[in-house]
Amino acid sequence: MPLEASARIVSELTSRGYNAEREAVTQLTSADDPQAALERVIDTLPEDALVVRTDHVQSALVATDPDPKSMGGERDPASKLDTTDPPVSTGDDTATPPASGAGAPVETKGSSGVERSADPELRSLEIAGDMTGESTGTGEYSDFVSVFRDRLERLGSTLRGRVNHRPATAIQNMPGGGEVGMVGLVNDIRSTASGHWLVELEDATGTFPWLVMKDREYADLVGELLCDEVLAMEGTLADDSGIAFVDSMYFPDIPRTHEPSTADRHVQAALISDVHVGSQEFMHDAWNRFTDWLHTDQAQHVEYLLLAGDMVEGVGIYPDQDEELDIVDIYEQYEVFNEYLKQVPGDIEIVMIPGNHDAVRLAEPQPGFNEDLREIMSAHDPRIVSNPSTVTLEGVSVLMYHGVSLDEVIAELPEEKASYEEPHKAMYHLLKKRHVAPQFGGHTRLAPEERDYLVMDEVPDIFHTGHVHKLGFGKYHNVLAINSGCWQSQTDFQKSVNIDPDAGYAPIVDLDTLDVTVQKFS
Amino acid sequence: MREEDARYFQRLEDQLDEAFDVAERAKQRGGDPEPEVEIPVAKDMADRVENILGIDGVAERVRELEDQMSREEAALELAKDFADGRVGDYETRAGKIEGAVRTAVALLTEGVVAAPIEGIDRVELLQNDDGTEFVNVYYAGPIRSAGGTAQALSVLVADYTRALVGIEQYNARDDEIERYAEEIALYDKETGLQYTPKAKEAKFIAKHLPIMLDGEATGDEEVSGFRDLERVDTNSARGGMCLVLGEGIALKAPKIQRYTRNLDEVDWPWLQDLIDGNYTADEGEDGADSDEDDAHAESDESDGDTTEPADDSDASDGPPRAEPSTKFLRDLIAGRPVFSHPSAEGGFRLRYGRARNHGFATGGVHPATMHLVDDFLATGTQIKTERPGKAHGIIPVDSIDGPTVKLANGDVRRIDDPEEALEIRNGIEKILDTGEYLVNYGEFVENNHPLAPASYVFEWWIQDLADAGADTQALEDDPRIDLEFPEAEQALEWATAYDAPLHPQYTYLWHDISVETYCALADAVAHGRVEDDADGDGTLVLEYGESTAVALETLIIEHRQREAENRIEIDDWRPFARTLGCEPRQAVTDGATLEPDGHEQASTIELERTWSDDDLSERARTWGHEEDGDNAIEAVNEVAPFQVRERAPTRIGNRMGRPEKSERRDLSPPVHTLFPIGEAGGAQRNVANAAKHAETMSDTPGVVEVQIGRQRCPNCETETFKNRCPECNTRTTPDYRCPDCEQRIEPDEAGRVECGHCDREATCVESREIDIHEEYRDALESVGERENAFEILKGVKGLSSATKVPEPIEKGVLRAKHDVSTFKDGTIRYDMTDLPVTSVRASELDIDVGQLQALGYEEDIHGDPLTHEDQLVELKVQDIVLSDGAAEFMLQTAAFIDDLLEQYYGLERFYEFEDRQDLVGELVFGMAPHTSAATVGRVIGFTTAAVGYAHPYFHAAKRRNCDGDEDCVMLLLDGLLNFSKSFLPDQRGGKMDAPLVMSSRIDPSEIDDEAHNMDIVSQYPREFYLATREQADPESVEIQIGEDTLGTDGEYTGFEHTHDTTDIAMGPDLSAYKTLGSMMDKMDAQLELSRKLESVDETDVAERVIEGHFLPDLIGNLRAFSRQETRCLDCGEKFRRMPLTGDCRECGGRVNLTVHEGSVNKYMQTAIQVAEEYDCRDYTKQRLEVLERSLESVFENDKNKQSGIEDFM
Repeated sequence: MPLEASARIVSELTSRGYNAEREAVTQLTSADDPQAALERVIDTLPEDALVVRTDHVQSALVATDPDPKSMGGERDPASKLDTTDPPVSTGDDTATPPASGAGAPVETKGSSGVERSADPELRSLEIAGDMTGESTGTGEYSDFVSVFRDRLERLGSTLRGRVNHRPATAIQNMPGGGEVGMVGLVNDIRSTASGHWLVELEDATGTFPWLVMKDREYADLVGELLCDEVLAMEGTLADDSGIAFVDSMYFPDIPRTHEPSTADRHVQAALISDVHVGSQEFMHDAWNRFTDWLHTDQAQHVEYLLLAGDMVEGVGIYPDQDEELDIVDIYEQYEVFNEYLKQVPGDIEIVMIPGNHDAVRLAEPQPGFNEDLREIMSAHDPRIVSNPSTVTLEGVSVLMYHGVSLDEVIAELPEEKASYEEPHKAMYHLLKKRHVAPQFGGHTRLAPEERDYLVMDEVPDIFHTGHVHKLGFGKYHNVLAINSGCWQSQTDFQKSVNIDPDAGYAPIVDLDTLDVTVQKFS
Repeated sequence: MREEDARYFQRLEDQLDEAFDVAERAKQRGGDPEPEVEIPVAKDMADRVENILGIDGVAERVRELEDQMSREEAALELAKDFADGRVGDYETRAGKIEGAVRTAVALLTEGVVAAPIEGIDRVELLQNDDGTEFVNVYYAGPIRSAGGTAQALSVLVADYTRALVGIEQYNARDDEIERYAEEIALYDKETGLQYTPKAKEAKFIAKHLPIMLDGEATGDEEVSGFRDLERVDTNSARGGMCLVLGEGIALKAPKIQRYTRNLDEVDWPWLQDLIDGNYTADEGEDGADSDEDDAHAESDESDGDTTEPADDSDASDGPPRAEPSTKFLRDLIAGRPVFSHPSAEGGFRLRYGRARNHGFATGGVHPATMHLVDDFLATGTQIKTERPGKAHGIIPVDSIDGPTVKLANGDVRRIDDPEEALEIRNGIEKILDTGEYLVNYGEFVENNHPLAPASYVFEWWIQDLADAGADTQALEDDPRIDLEFPEAEQALEWATAYDAPLHPQYTYLWHDISVETYCALADAVAHGRVEDDADGDGTLVLEYGESTAVALETLIIEHRQREAENRIEIDDWRPFARTLGCEPRQAVTDGATLEPDGHEQASTIELERTWSDDDLSERARTWGHEEDGDNAIEAVNEVAPFQVRERAPTRIGNRMGRPEKSERRDLSPPVHTLFPIGEAGGAQRNVANAAKHAETMSDTPGVVEVQIGRQRCPNCETETFKNRCPECNTRTTPDYRCPDCEQRIEPDEAGRVECGHCDREATCVESREIDIHEEYRDALESVGERENAFEILKGVKGLSSATKVPEPIEKGVLRAKHDVSTFKDGTIRYDMTDLPVTSVRASELDIDVGQLQALGYEEDIHGDPLTHEDQLVELKVQDIVLSDGAAEFMLQTAAFIDDLLEQYYGLERFYEFEDRQDLVGELVFGMAPHTSAATVGRVIGFTTAAVGYAHPYFHAAKRRNCDGDEDCVMLLLDGLLNFSKSFLPDQRGGKMDAPLVMSSRIDPSEIDDEAHNMDIVSQYPREFYLATREQADPESVEIQIGEDTLGTDGEYTGFEHTHDTTDIAMGPDLSAYKTLGSMMDKMDAQLELSRKLESVDETDVAERVIEGHFLPDLIGNLRAFSRQETRCLDCGEKFRRMPLTGDCRECGGRVNLTVHEGSVNKYMQTAIQVAEEYDCRDYTKQRLEVLERSLESVFENDKNKQSGIEDFM
């Protein structure tokens, strides 16, 4: 009866004042002589340990071999991680996990095994588009109107050069049969009885319907359209000028000729997200291995760490969440997160944006954390900016966005165009639309501000998102799109909807080449 | 049947016949859809079954069979008749099966509920994969009202008939089997099932069922796996099917098996496996899984409503206690207070007994308590309760203990008088005890709940005393002795002289204090002194101490706390002191003997503790339920010189469910006439406006196009929509035509109208222009009324019936005149919460003895002649008590009926009431939702309570119990004159809540058998009280219940009660829930009350309100804000997103948000305040904090927060 055995071990540990990870208990239970193993583990536990982790168990069990090196105490990073991890593409299993049995307790507290080789003077980090403290919207009707007008204004400006733009009301008054062009927000997409598509474009004067014939080349693009994205159409007016037949469609898009900027030296950035501290599923071990690894020679070029939201699991995100939280207090969640952040070498620059689990408003754009929370997370002095924000690292611009709109893109678009399995492809669509969350009224929530902070004014060199807990990256018109995985193992909810998260990976980007390697820590 | 009962029913029926005659004459004259009364009278169940089904010959056969066999067996026997064609006129085999199944369901539901007509859509024959035919029964949602047994039997009957008419069994395809399992799980998630078979079980049943269960889609959610099946025409859950398979077959398998065994034609060997849970008899490979499922199933069951009594092995280790259950607290609603947390000290003390206005899912509360819980409880208020059932209707009983309160001045008093409760209400600091809660034995039988330990009460004590050898009869006869509330000396004497337990009024809640507290209290008393007052009995004065005060409060002994004077005063202290083992001792200095008359020896009595802590046995010291030593009762019994029983071992938690109801039933908007006027009458559906309405200048005012039934005059061929030809006044008939070929079709015998050429169903509904102006004027003229006779006359937008026959506007004119409105079926209804009553007093019904005598009441419950208003008489089974509001409304209805008879039908006025006393003796219909049969009742009087009191059998005849259920009354002639089946909506459930048939007399054997479990005795035996201590099965105790008198001469009488109550309407007339204005006021009152009640954990209440009400509201509104639609203020046009033009694209008008800041954060500050004030846990507070910050972030301008000079530059 394995359950009974686990229960016995847990109660034994509790009686001695220890908590334990489930996996650690499982390992103990499956030991040849659980009782003896338990005794050994307790003997070898570091003095200040409160939680018995798998690495404790492993080291204790390994310690039966005469190998004094792995017995607790000072850690020796160089010896722990063997050979270089080869670069991998989408986190498949070729990534070598850290050798098991080498996971001695991590008590780094910011001490570092390696020094970042480079001179800090060479670093540069600039932020653009941070709206923290700049939220001027007061939730009025006019605020909403302004934000959508701003969107059309800014994204439309490039498109107006490409078509012979006429305002919607002007088109209605044009003689039938002529050629016409229009730039506008998608107001409505319908299919007609005969299988054609009717796309209604809206500009500041009104709306005009555009008919996309089902057999035209553009028909396929209709499936990619989201409401409220900006686009231009060209076509022929019907005889009564009540409708126009689409001949061509233009998106704001990334120019094919886009040449990304690169850093002048070999320097790397780790792009992660969705840590979910406080969740029962938060993967301490994987995180510890990750921060351990950052202390190794292998990671000596990693000088930047970008965190795209969901630092903690949060409170009240879904009903009865308190029953599934490891840490119920939201402030404690951030405090513990801060402890984990401390494990990151002190000489790595950290930039973070909030996500939908964080204690900020859910409506986008989300301002960075307030003073109380910044205070809590101050140990590592991270840069905390709004979601979305653009951070430029030694010339390489990274658009950081948590990624809530990806759910919507994946839900609305046909599976071959966007899926959870290949989240980066969903990101391509956002790049093409030059907007991180175009559709209003659906999944994504919008807080109206004086300008649309969700527009991609400048073409980023890297687009970094998270949220969907799947790892995927690729390039779209030379822009590197990366969706980092997460640090939370599969939750019951994810199990019920059959989502298998990519947990415990850190994509590392060479800022001089924009090449990506994936480190696996789970 | 006794002769007087026969006379009673004869009288009712004579009265009914008289009204019937009037109605028949009227109908023949008027322009109603039918020229006769459309509610047939059913004298018994067989009649009802036949009428409800409309199959001739069923009634006769049912009566024949009923004498010989059970109802279930009769259903099977009738199936044979249907198969052989002896009953029913069906040509097809499917039709025969359908008839048999419907009849079975009707029979098993006593022909009252709508399930047989609404719950079974059709039976059809489909093909198996091997080409053979099988039976498919198509169920619909209303099959729910049939209950599990009838549902299960319907399947058996279908199969039996199938076998008899020679059709093959159904061979389910694999995907169909899988579909059943998936669908049932989906339905359970969406709607919920009483019993949900596990996937394995569902598949097992689906695989073996010899007929296919199918049904209508009832939900929006679709299955994800087994979609688009060939033989299942929906992807949504089929509610009817899920009910039949889950709550029917799966749950009632043992019952079905009883009948399959005796039938040679059907063979369901798999039932045994189903009952044994052996689903895998033929799927060996899944054995392990199924075991696991079983384990789940078992644990699910134990989660059920009934809580198991404490283990037998534990019983010897501590006092017997029912396990607390928190289920009733779930989904607590803001504004509806908790009166007691589960089994909490200070909560309602369970007292067994049945008051005369009690039983049948009700709970008795002292009227003083009703006032003290800030009027939240009123007669008829529903509460959700911890045990024995789920919910109770509250009734006032003043013969039980009232609440005990602590006043601001330090007095702790028990309040047994509602008037006193009102006086002291403002001075209450704490409600220490909410008093007793009366539950009758039958409730435990009905809910199959183990008896919970009884409070020690007078009824039990007097039997203890008799058992100890006292001549209790002599004591009762002694006018100087108040047995129920005796003097302290007297109580002590009985206890010592007879060695009987101490009288309950002097038995305090010793079990609620710990042994330690008990010892400390004994010390405190030993250090106290007795001060004699004028009466000479003295007052015990203790030194004031926090712990002493708390202990006395817990004991709920009346006393006075005078903290400033450092004293606590207790009158009637002797039983208390002696229970503590403290004996009065003469002060030595005085030298005199202790004499009651010794005034001069005032303040010389001292007390002596006669025992020490060490004298207590180990058992007494460690006696307890939750913790060792938390219950001092054993210590008390070792110390006290007499036996002391546990005063209140069972406390019952409860909270408010819904408020009582006594309201007219209006549709929304109210309807005066079922005449269609389209949109022409505006949102108000004002007929006068419609009569003037013109779409454009060129249209004729008042001409409106509506969908209406086409009628034709058989005499002059005139086409009209009226039931009488406007040309020649001949009655018209519906004019059916084929929608394709326009061919006129006459309905065939079965009422089908199908075009033979086109294979299409013909219809008489057409779009037709009607001159409302003309119709309206004509109607006014015909009844001789002017437009200023009423404020407004409201019609309907369109008709929802199949033939769309409109009602004559004349009826609406008169309804409007008398301010009554009609329900969908043409009747006028008044809703009241149902409550039971078995004996009444003329005085409380606002009638006199003469009126009672005129109704056939001759003697009181003791058999004495009826002479004065305070005598109790036993209520006759169909007599009902109207609320004041209902009486008022019935008077209005009667005035309408009189006008209708005189001005429309041209007959004499019938009622001619002057005041409500005239209503006494008049007949009404009682009619419950989900049923299709009305029950005739007779008005006997009136009550100020906002409820409808009637005999429990009357409610049960309507298939209601009294746990907060409500239903309606209609005036008899209104039903007879104005009801028509032609008005009923042509949709699922349209025939529910409509009087398709009426029962003129109640046969106790043919009512909902829940009522049979009500006990009808005047005293519960001592064995019963002792059995409660054992938490025995209620069936193991002998107490007469209604079931025991069924079929005997005594079935209509002898409903005795154990407790009287002064008036059936006491306490507040209306619950505070209804009198308080806004939701905030209600919630404030709810939280305020939770603080005052000792039995309620106010933090928990606040948490539940925030979690269940505020947070979802805030989160939902904030989400809605950031994804909202907008709407034009001028033309109402909606936009998915704010238009870039800013203004309305349609009309250029102003567009605005639909969700504003105000609606998002209206509860924010309140929620934060409540969380703070009631000390909610951090998790809740933090959620609110995060939300508040979100609101600020969205609605506040960061730049304006600290406004400086630069803002204005």
